[in-house]
Amino acid sequence: MSYAELYCFSNFTFLTGASHPHELAEQALANGYRALAITDACSVAGIPRAWQALKHSDVALITGSYFELEPDTPDHPPTRLILLACTRQGYGQLCQLITLGRRRASKGQYQLFTDDLDSHLLTDCLCLWLAPTAQEASFTCALKAGQGLHNRFPDRFWLAASRALACGEEQQLHRIRALSRELERPVVATGEVHMHDRQRQPLQDVLTAIRHNTSLEQAGHRLFQNGERYLRPLPVLHRLFPEEWINETLVIAEQCTFRPGELRYEYPGDLVPPEQTPASWLEILTRQGEQRRFPEGTPAHIQALIRKELALIREMEYEHYFLTIHDIVSFARRQGILCQGRGSAANSAVCYCLGITEVDPRQIELLFERFISKDRDEPPDIDVDFEHERREEVIQYIYQRYGRERAALAAAVIRYQPRSAIRDVGKALGFDPAQVEQLLNGIDWRDRETDWRSQILDKGLTRHKRVANQFFTLVNTLLGFPRHLSQHVGGFVISSGPLSQLVPTENAAMAGRTVIQWDKDDLESLGLMKVDVLALGMLTAIRKSLTLISEAKGEPFTLQHVPREDKATYDMLTTGDSIGVFQVESRAQINMLPRLRPEKFYDLVIEVAIVRPGPIQGDMVHPYLKRKHGLEAVTYPNEEVRGVLERTLGVPIFQEQVIKLAMVAAGFTAGEADQLRRAMAAWKSHGDLTVFREKLIRGMRERGHSEDFAERLYHQICGFGGYGFPESHAASFALLVYVSAWIKRHHPAAFYCGLLNSQPMGFYSPSQLIQDARRHDVVVLPVDVNHSHWDYTLEGPDGHLRIGLRQVRGLNRQSAEALCQQRPPGGYTSVQQLRQYTALPQRDLELLAGSNALAAISGHRHQSYWELLGHEEAAPLWVSEDGDDQAYLPGGDRVDLPAPSEGQNVLADYASQGLSLQRHPLALLREQGHLRNCLNAQQLKTAEPNRPVQVAGLVTGRQRPGSASGVTFVTLEDEFGNINVVVWLNTARQQRKPLLTSRLLHVKGIVEREGDIVHIMAGKLTDLSHLIQTLPVPSRDFQ
Amino acid sequence: MPWLYLHFHHLLLNHVARAMEADAPLAVICQGSRRVLQAGPRAIELGVRPGTAFKTALNLAPELVMFHADDDRQARILEQQAHWLYHHMDRITLYPPDGLLADAGSVKRLYGGLLPLRKALQEALAERQLDATLSTGPTPLAARLLARAGVDCFTDSHEEMTAHLATLPLTHTEFEGRTLQRLNRLGLTRLGQLQQLPPAELARRLAPETLAHIQRILGQRPDPQTSWQPPRDFRQRADFGLPVEKAQGLLFALQRTLAELENDLQWRQQGADTLLLTLYHYRQEPSRLRIRSTGPEHRAEAFLNLLRIRLEQYPLQAPVEALELRVTRFLDRHTASSADLLGETPDTGEAWHTLVSRLQARLGEQALTHLAPAADHRPERAWSARSLARRGRDPIPEHLPLRPLWLLPHPAPLQAAPEEWLGGPERISGGWWDGERVLRDYYIARLPEGQLAWIYRDNQQGWFVHGWFG
Repeated sequence: MSYAELYCFSNFTFLTGASHPHELAEQALANGYRALAITDACSVAGIPRAWQALKHSDVALITGSYFELEPDTPDHPPTRLILLACTRQGYGQLCQLITLGRRRASKGQYQLFTDDLDSHLLTDCLCLWLAPTAQEASFTCALKAGQGLHNRFPDRFWLAASRALACGEEQQLHRIRALSRELERPVVATGEVHMHDRQRQPLQDVLTAIRHNTSLEQAGHRLFQNGERYLRPLPVLHRLFPEEWINETLVIAEQCTFRPGELRYEYPGDLVPPEQTPASWLEILTRQGEQRRFPEGTPAHIQALIRKELALIREMEYEHYFLTIHDIVSFARRQGILCQGRGSAANSAVCYCLGITEVDPRQIELLFERFISKDRDEPPDIDVDFEHERREEVIQYIYQRYGRERAALAAAVIRYQPRSAIRDVGKALGFDPAQVEQLLNGIDWRDRETDWRSQILDKGLTRHKRVANQFFTLVNTLLGFPRHLSQHVGGFVISSGPLSQLVPTENAAMAGRTVIQWDKDDLESLGLMKVDVLALGMLTAIRKSLTLISEAKGEPFTLQHVPREDKATYDMLTTGDSIGVFQVESRAQINMLPRLRPEKFYDLVIEVAIVRPGPIQGDMVHPYLKRKHGLEAVTYPNEEVRGVLERTLGVPIFQEQVIKLAMVAAGFTAGEADQLRRAMAAWKSHGDLTVFREKLIRGMRERGHSEDFAERLYHQICGFGGYGFPESHAASFALLVYVSAWIKRHHPAAFYCGLLNSQPMGFYSPSQLIQDARRHDVVVLPVDVNHSHWDYTLEGPDGHLRIGLRQVRGLNRQSAEALCQQRPPGGYTSVQQLRQYTALPQRDLELLAGSNALAAISGHRHQSYWELLGHEEAAPLWVSEDGDDQAYLPGGDRVDLPAPSEGQNVLADYASQGLSLQRHPLALLREQGHLRNCLNAQQLKTAEPNRPVQVAGLVTGRQRPGSASGVTFVTLEDEFGNINVVVWLNTARQQRKPLLTSRLLHVKGIVEREGDIVHIMAGKLTDLSHLIQTLPVPSRDFQ
Repeated sequence: MPWLYLHFHHLLLNHVARAMEADAPLAVICQGSRRVLQAGPRAIELGVRPGTAFKTALNLAPELVMFHADDDRQARILEQQAHWLYHHMDRITLYPPDGLLADAGSVKRLYGGLLPLRKALQEALAERQLDATLSTGPTPLAARLLARAGVDCFTDSHEEMTAHLATLPLTHTEFEGRTLQRLNRLGLTRLGQLQQLPPAELARRLAPETLAHIQRILGQRPDPQTSWQPPRDFRQRADFGLPVEKAQGLLFALQRTLAELENDLQWRQQGADTLLLTLYHYRQEPSRLRIRSTGPEHRAEAFLNLLRIRLEQYPLQAPVEALELRVTRFLDRHTASSADLLGETPDTGEAWHTLVSRLQARLGEQALTHLAPAADHRPERAWSARSLARRGRDPIPEHLPLRPLWLLPHPAPLQAAPEEWLGGPERISGGWWDGERVLRDYYIARLPEGQLAWIYRDNQQGWFVHGWFG
């Protein structure tokens, strides 16, 4: 007794299949099937995951796909069929057909015609035909369609028969038998499988309702009439189907010999000159790089490292991978695009020589094994960041270099998250959408995600336990289901032959972009190489700043010219003066800097990694700080642990340290540690770490570690889930921290100019950056039609920062550039002239007047605007109605409008540019006597601790970080800087209204001080927004 | 002259609050923009304002009761206000969704001045628990803008009204956004500033529509108004924020509605003998009640008694979300009622219609239904008895499953083993979502007595007959 299932949807047939591929695979194995075909609709997206589950089993995984072809004429029924790949070649044919169908339709759809079966070679594919029902087509019509298909697949054609025990099935089986006799081809049994187990019927019903955008109650006959479309046990199948139909499944399975494991990815070989081998060429390039990186000669230990790495690369045959990345990076360098590798590649001296990474191997300890290991046998993973504004150039280069047939972006599988799952299941169950929103809103998502269920119950939002249980089961099962394919942020797959032979590609939402059907985990499991081309705003800003410095110096100034280990830079960071600096500009980081007191590069590596959920939840921050400042002795329980933790003074900070600890301190095997690593990476979406908890704690206790330490380590592991921060990654980032901080310290005007010209990016708004710039004695000049360029510029011998026209909201870039190009040497002298020279549209001129950029040529902004508007012809209506229009000839009356007040100017500046160089609104309010008892940010620096004070400011930030339970951090801005307010949960609850709605907030509270860091512990909050109601201040609510 | 404008601050909210006994924070929200449109006083206390994001509102007031904005509904409610205003004033114009305009000049003398009129109107508003601003103006538009700006202007002095207009902020002039932006950029904030500029210079700088708008405000351009005519029928609706589950709860709302009816009848100097009451439920056919009195009646008290008796007899079928009271026939207060039910009826044309109406009158509306198929796999739910009003409105699907014509009201246990099995099994499992899950295997079988039966086995292994084929 045996069986092969040949018609089976996984949940990669979105909103149709109700089981994950691996669930189907495991069920087929448990049922004792001979083979299982995953046949998603015009897709092979589910194959890699099923393959993972079946590759070491006796169940053969068959690759196939279901298709519904467009009807030949509108009154014909659509042809439905399943194609199964017999061989590797057949698999390629299948992929090409899928690619054709997907590329023809918009994102998420496909379109194929009967003719496509002729124009495409499908010689190595088998065809299972799903004959139309009596309601869809007459017998003769069906027979004709069957004959057509049979001719196309002469000996490779079967009629599929299913027994879902549905109404009208007996007639359909009759018809299939009759068609089989006429066509002289056998019938094969199929399960029309939509789920691995009958228990999934409710979920399948819910998916159907979601697909039809309706509720279960309204779905009616669109739901299946029962839950029989599952992987049924063999005895049931044998009862339902004639012996010979079942035997045909085995005949077919026998013919489908292709397994995904046969897919051999070939690196593109284009990059090796004819007389060279990949290995020799890589060696030559590395040597060239060495000479560039170490002009005074490569240190001996690094030479040894390079030799070791090259040997391993040769052994694993990864040369092409390095050559490919080197090629991309070299392109960027030729174009002057700043780039830097991140991630574990920073552990490679070869990568450093090739210019892929920038972290000097003399600065940190390199562990090449973390990058490539013989044991793991996984292709290396190199992520390269490029300037965010110019990444597109790099992407276009890749397309151009390898062609669109050979390069495509990896998919990102968008999966159901708690929010979307609750929303969709709620809709299917017919809940009132407003009620569901209320439900969602009641959940504190910042709490650990696993607890949302109890959160809902606690809040008593569902009363009926039974409904609640059903609802939760459905939502929980739906979590992690794929919803659609999207495009990965920058993961390219490049192959040596046409990619569509290897994996189908389909259209992405973005025009001209195609994605393959597999995501990054799938690629990894099938051994395909992916190159990550990522975008990083800070690189753009740094490059722009470096260019400005070069111009000022009159000679090129590059990253390599930035002096290392500059004390002034570290001193600046130690005071928490880091607005605009990469990575360490957030409020939490600003507070950490004075506590950690970085003095050398490695301190920055730790600084970047320590303000993360992992170390915070593991409660590792305080111990580290104590040890660093010599307040606690640095000790190690044993030598092995010392080996892991020595660099971080015995406190685990980085992700890989935690994994290594699991091995040396808890006795995990290498395999188990690797599982742990994977579980951590997947934890956020669907992983489960609790299985490791007991093992970890028991293992550590047995080896004499304290239970407390073990618990903390476990919490740290949980904290790392999804936000893993390995050391090498932190090192790459720390380099950018250092460089940006150095520029800020020594060339502040160039620093802010570069940042402002790279917006939007980073943590702060242009307004905040400009205020910070002025506090650093940078002179900022207003936007001016006679001086500004599109970008911010440094002006005059003193390098004053001139606001660029880009800051004027809504101003067209072409117009602004035309304005700059046409500008006469002496500048424009009148609006008339400006109009004549540039032919700017009225709209742009009005925007300029509104920004006060015309002040020099036509008076204050009200007057400029009045002049500009006068250009238009009089509205005829008024003149005719008025009766005596002679008195008001065009240009007749000279009108003098009142000049704007300071307050009006501030408001107008904010409206036009989101910032103002006038006095800060708080200064105005203070002058008017509104804030009599309030300390300003300056006075607060010297305020005595533990004293009650009052402060007020514009609310520029409200944050409730996940790692600080229940605390809301509010940032207030006044004319002297930022004020940090801490609001405890109880205070927040009692004063929701001022906390949530104020734009200008008054706070009574207690000063708390730790070193240079001052916080106000909020007591009473008062909303003062009415004082400046019309001032548009962006607030970053609860990010 | 002058014109009077009533601006209702939150009509929909007042309307809902009126029908509620509990004092919950209320808000009307817009589903599209996900923002609060109207907020009740309790909600405002908690910090919810019009324009507050839906999410923030819930953070501020977790127990907030929300309604979706509904323009049609608000328009209907506005019209209800026109009804009573019509008793006080003449030449009423509707300004949906929240305003009424009337000519105060024509009734000024009737009331003996504006102040008594104002008092009368304020009493009427208070009685109906409506929040509104009243304002007079020299032109319809001026009155509207002043009322909407919340300016306390109630006078027939032209100078005073003009003075009020001059200080009107431009943000309240209903200029379109672009114009407002322009004026703002010129540093102009009040209507008076605009009036001081040379008209021709201003004309060159503003759009013709803006000029026309200004001219309408100032009365330099005609602004004809379309007067509203009260409909013949009486029709009043009450919406409940929280569904009402007991008849007692309905009576509270009905009291008000009947008081309105009494007012209306008083004003018409007529009576009514038939009330049509429609109760709206969530996702269910509304219940329709017809209440008849023995003769023409106009007292709310009398109607209420009739309704109380009727509601005691017929318990509510489902929680009620809204009710509507209609009177379409008005009688002279002293004419005797028509002799008997079988007497002459105006539409004798259709025998069917007559039969149905009579049956309905005798048996009650709910007693008459017709059969229709329903899309559900469960046989007992695959048909439905629909209200006659829906007849012919639901299309019948093309392909119906093979089912016996005679379906038993309740499956009966199978008494004897079938002689012959003719079809099956057909498995039906579904309905898990509404608590009436079925799990059955159906067969067509010939029973020993020769009947062709539709039988099934349930998941407890029990056998039942569910219908007969013949």
